[in-house]
Amino acid sequence: MTEDSGMKENIVCPFCGCLCDDIALSVVGNQITDNKNGCSISQAKFLNHHDDRLAMDSSVEELVKKAAEIIVKSKRLLVYGLSSTENDAHREAYKIAEEVGGVVDNTSSVCHGPTILGTQESGESIAALAETRHRADLVIYWGSNPQFAHPRHMSRYVRADGLFIKDGKKDRKIWVVDVRKTISAGVADKFVKINPGSDLEIISALRAIARGKILDVEEVGGLSINELTELVEAMKNAKYGVLFFGLGLTQSKGRHRNIDAAIRLIQDLNYDSKWSMMPMRGHYNVAGANKTSTWQTGYPYAVDYARGYPRYQPGEYTAVDMLVRGEPDAVLNIAADPAAHFPRAAVKHLAGIPVINLDPKQNMTSLLAKVNIQTAISGIECDGAAVRMDGLPLYLKKVVDPPEGVLPDRDVLRMIYDEVRRLKK
Amino acid sequence: MSRVGVEALLTSGRTLKQGRAMELGKLGPEYLKEVAICEMDKVTLEALGLDEGDPVCVETLHGSVLVTSKIDRRAEPGIVFIPCGPYANAVTGSDTENTGMPDFKGVSAQIFGAKGEKVLNVKELLKQIMEGA
Repeated sequence: MTEDSGMKENIVCPFCGCLCDDIALSVVGNQITDNKNGCSISQAKFLNHHDDRLAMDSSVEELVKKAAEIIVKSKRLLVYGLSSTENDAHREAYKIAEEVGGVVDNTSSVCHGPTILGTQESGESIAALAETRHRADLVIYWGSNPQFAHPRHMSRYVRADGLFIKDGKKDRKIWVVDVRKTISAGVADKFVKINPGSDLEIISALRAIARGKILDVEEVGGLSINELTELVEAMKNAKYGVLFFGLGLTQSKGRHRNIDAAIRLIQDLNYDSKWSMMPMRGHYNVAGANKTSTWQTGYPYAVDYARGYPRYQPGEYTAVDMLVRGEPDAVLNIAADPAAHFPRAAVKHLAGIPVINLDPKQNMTSLLAKVNIQTAISGIECDGAAVRMDGLPLYLKKVVDPPEGVLPDRDVLRMIYDEVRRLKK
Repeated sequence: MSRVGVEALLTSGRTLKQGRAMELGKLGPEYLKEVAICEMDKVTLEALGLDEGDPVCVETLHGSVLVTSKIDRRAEPGIVFIPCGPYANAVTGSDTENTGMPDFKGVSAQIFGAKGEKVLNVKELLKQIMEGA
């Protein structure tokens, strides 16, 4: 049982990669009645956690048996999701993939997977979010719309006053680089509009100018050479700069090459100034999924156990590619909604194979799943650990009890693993 | 449906309302209202001969989908936006160029007015995808 009713403070919000840890909740009985400090998405998440729950057509034990039978019968299991559940659940999911020689991929393959590929190519120049708040005098959001996707990112880390940046509103400049004028661009000090799909060219041009090269063109990606030169000069003259980048950079033409080039730009800028960069991670524990996957399998995503040992190959063992090839004959989906977030061709194959779906709430994937198991919401109905976008692990607290008979993902996955082992004997 | 359309690049991403609606229920009317839309500038909407709220058909090489038109006052001609979700993905290609990542941004699209047509709800859209239409 959770503690008595009252105000619960310093709660971590399990929605986006900011993992805001200053949420204060009023709890009456087993109901959350108020959320102080949370953004509007956080409000919706905490105050409506009991609504729209996933229906189960029999007991958890029966459903676990059905799930284990599907898994044991399958020749090519795909385990997918994991970014909206806590780290202990990840461990159990990897164990199942290893036990049956399946593939395990997380949602980063369709968000910041290219960031990981770029990092593997050129290194990681990440810093803590607190450094941004205390030190950064120039912050760039590239292909990212934080006011919508990370609603408190600006107010907590960028517009807030810091130790060395005394006035976050006056002493720090914010630029937004994007193909369209987003709401974040509207509140920034400078909006740099670029042509769609030209990120790699622009970053390469910025690097060349930073190194003193003369470019024999008038414009690159919609920006004149004069504009590009002004950007480089301002970036070199910053005391401490941070480049936050979103899916506008990872999902557009160039993908991991965009990230590779951006990392190299940051490395170049460090000859003249101090710069770091950070991906704007979307789901609250997608960074954790990459970390736990690396701890346990050796690789951050797209891991295949078919040969009994882990192999890594994005493009081959990533969920969309596997589904489009028609390769998996069963899917174990945990805390994700691939039916809503994958392209049509991938969803079509998903609809034709048995899907085991673990989620607190109903969604598009639950409509086509053969086995639906409702689980507790991490950070509201069960505890756990999650990783913030800058790599900081934070402890998620249990605030209220889950609905009767509903277990955390980790417990259900452990039960499935045990049943799979029993059936295989 | 009108066969006189407007060419544009289609991009997708999160919106605050989409994120909020997702937490209220991904099969509910609020979610449908926030993801089954196509945001565009006023000139594009006028070129299509539509009023805000009229349905549009968004066609790409990978499929077509009916969504509700919405004006984005900050937008300029040439780029239209559908919030991330099943409607944007219904017209997204699945080639990842061996990275795992499909083309979620910058897909060439044609937008047609579709007055009188019905925007499918999430369940109907899924049925349509499953049946391969």
